[in-house]
Amino acid sequence: MTAPTLDALMRRLAQGDRSVFTQVFERLWPPTLRLCRSLLKNDADAADAAQEAMHKIFERATDYDPSRPALPWALAIAGFECRTLAKKRVRRRETAEANESAFGALDPEQDFVDRDLVAAAMTALGELSPTDREALTATFWDQAASSAGATFRKRRERALARLRMTFRRLYGLT
Amino acid sequence: MASPDLLALQRRLRFRYELSRARLALLGVVPVAVLVAVAATLAHRPESTLWFGAATVTAGATLLWYGREPQSAVLPGILAGIVPLVLALCANNMHACGPGGCSSWCVEACTAGGVIAGLSVAIVGNQRRAGGWYWLSASSLALLTGGMGCMCVGFSGLIGLGLGFVGGVVPGLIRRLRTA
Repeated sequence: MTAPTLDALMRRLAQGDRSVFTQVFERLWPPTLRLCRSLLKNDADAADAAQEAMHKIFERATDYDPSRPALPWALAIAGFECRTLAKKRVRRRETAEANESAFGALDPEQDFVDRDLVAAAMTALGELSPTDREALTATFWDQAASSAGATFRKRRERALARLRMTFRRLYGLT
Repeated sequence: MASPDLLALQRRLRFRYELSRARLALLGVVPVAVLVAVAATLAHRPESTLWFGAATVTAGATLLWYGREPQSAVLPGILAGIVPLVLALCANNMHACGPGGCSSWCVEACTAGGVIAGLSVAIVGNQRRAGGWYWLSASSLALLTGGMGCMCVGFSGLIGLGLGFVGGVVPGLIRRLRTA
């Protein structure tokens, strides 16, 4: 007795014959996984895509048109899933790269140096008079830009000079 | 992929398959639900129409979800049942009045509709060389659909429908059994 073809099994599954479920799965899983492996070149991605494709295939099994051969129909769904997954991966990679360039490389060493410098600057700023601190803070936040008259510029220059001197005194650096 | 994973995948796929069948079955009975609503609006006893309608919708959805032969019986069964339903709804508004008072034509309409429904189910069954599940499913649906209108004068309408249906379907069923 010859084994029933995939087309015949698929037709029976479409009509609601649950007894052929495992047979259809066993016939479809290997070629679907093979196609996904060849398209995605990555075992983990291929397994994900093949599983998603099988979900779609069995969801649409009831709508299966018996006049069409079952394997190409199933592999077309699998191919579409592979392309969708590949596009999703590319998009995710692009987003990750964009985030990296926007916020700079997440280098812990650089982060530590930056924090150290900020702490040193804050200590030096704390040694200045309140007027100097106010002038420098306003400069940092760009608040003085609109009212930057000659008087403020002079005050800022003096405050910066005093900050440099304090920094040198404290850390021996310019 | 290891075999326990494949078994788990198969279980998930089976669930999706059943879910998709159930979704399609529910979509398939939407026209029946509309028919029930229309019949309940026109019927003199909307409560009994709604009870029969609910049973028809439930049975139809279950058969569509199950598939195979019972699924193929849904359309012929419902269509056959529409005949006694329409006749009974029309008979609701017709009376034969004589010296002894007026009487409804509901029972006659249901009986005649039952005969036509039985014949229809039998003709389709013989054409398709259908098996027992077809005859059982189509007959149940035809009787439930017809029953929506045949409670117009109580159970006598239903009895008329049943007798008429048996009269219509039995010759066809005997013919089918002989050719099987």
